Amino acid sequence: MANDKTSMQLISRGILSENPIFKLALSMCPAVGISTTVINGLMLGVAVLFVQVFSSVTISLFKNKIHPRIRIPTYTLTIATWVTVIDLALAAYLPDAYARMGIFVKLIVAFAIITMRLEMFACKESVNDSFWDGLGMGLGFMVGMVVIGFVRELLGSGAIFGYDVLGFKPLLFFILPSAGFFVVGLMMAFFNWIELAYKRTKGKI
Amino acid sequence: MKDILTIIFRLTVTCILAAMVMGSAFIITNKAKKHNEHVNEQKVRYALLGYSAAQPIPDSMALHEMYRYVVTDKESQAIGYLLPGKEGFIFLTLDMEGKVIDNKPVDIAESAVLEKDLRDKVVQEIAGAGRSVTFADQTIVVTNNGERVAYLLDGKFTGFKTFIGVMLAVDPKFSILGLEILEHEEDPGLGAEIERDYFRNQFKGKTFDQLKDLDVVKEPLPDEYFQALEGNIAAADAAEILAKYGDRDIYALTGATISSRYVNTGVKGIVKKFAYRLNILDTALADQKIKAAF
Repeated sequence: MANDKTSMQLISRGILSENPIFKLALSMCPAVGISTTVINGLMLGVAVLFVQVFSSVTISLFKNKIHPRIRIPTYTLTIATWVTVIDLALAAYLPDAYARMGIFVKLIVAFAIITMRLEMFACKESVNDSFWDGLGMGLGFMVGMVVIGFVRELLGSGAIFGYDVLGFKPLLFFILPSAGFFVVGLMMAFFNWIELAYKRTKGKI
Repeated sequence: MKDILTIIFRLTVTCILAAMVMGSAFIITNKAKKHNEHVNEQKVRYALLGYSAAQPIPDSMALHEMYRYVVTDKESQAIGYLLPGKEGFIFLTLDMEGKVIDNKPVDIAESAVLEKDLRDKVVQEIAGAGRSVTFADQTIVVTNNGERVAYLLDGKFTGFKTFIGVMLAVDPKFSILGLEILEHEEDPGLGAEIERDYFRNQFKGKTFDQLKDLDVVKEPLPDEYFQALEGNIAAADAAEILAKYGDRDIYALTGATISSRYVNTGVKGIVKKFAYRLNILDTALADQKIKAAF
């Protein structure tokens, strides 16, 4: 299967039509667990973006050298390596943020979205395409986390980026983990609705 | 069979490559990490002495680090202190009765002292062949205009699960100024509550005499005391409440009496041992007319 999409199409696919959180519904655990504020969502999004891009490129580089019987262990090793790198880097250069979300960074090893992209895309396509695909998926995840974080922070603590904007706390419920599911569900519906509306105006349906 | 061999070979190569990447990342970030730890340590120290970013430590104050080593040769054990003198560092060895065995100047830079490996090497050289040295603990003597105002003690003792690492601040009469839990692995929600203000601050202000027979009681923590310890009420009111409960024993944490007991015993042990050692050290310093920096 050769890839016939341009780099821009690969990126937009990751963010819109195949957004990991809203469309593929993968890696929901962190989406629910850590996205209580915009900053947290952004930080984890950046970490995932880094791991996704580097893992995709690495696997794509060595795709002919990977024995088909041990591809999953190899993917896991690759992801674990890059997660360790970003984990060490965050701990060293952003200690305050790391104190809050350190445990979730280690969990990136088990994120379904990364393994799935390696299996579906990077092990078959060229390094260049894999890079753009990884970037698109990573950005899609990051955008998803930031949007969820935005809603939850605004409704839960009445603030954005830690600054109090509303002056009161509308619904404390949104800070709690269970509210993450509500936000994700509503967002999914919203994304689907936009897509349908877009297709309708184009006359595709 | 051939398959297995290639699989083994490729997995090995993958692991080696991964190890190399992770190793280089570790080497690159290690310096920044050490720096962070150091900054963090400094912050904890200043916080224990009652200073923060908003209220910086005055220039007249100085922190002097003092390291204690256990020196052993074939027959006997001795205690070695690496301490800052008026000019350069001094390594003072005392026997178990507190008599001075020897007293040598140490040629080591201020910055090198902070590095454990470098320091241990220098101390080993000073102690000479045939004697082995083991690092025991470190103490920071805080002076203000040359007068001793506090000691910061590092300590480690057993907890319910593993070790609990603490830093204690005591004044020259060994009353507790503050307690900070640096590391522990107690159960979240139970033993881990030892790091909360309402537990730690119960030790604050306990005098040396009170401390000697300080116990842990299994009673519910009165609400006003809790609020005062957590710093939820105005400073003036809080001081009154804290004074009222000042001579009580430590209230055990709910569901974590054992952790509370370990912290209590540990803190008592650290302060008592330190008071005993400092007495010996001060006598030795006075005897030998050694001019220490503190």
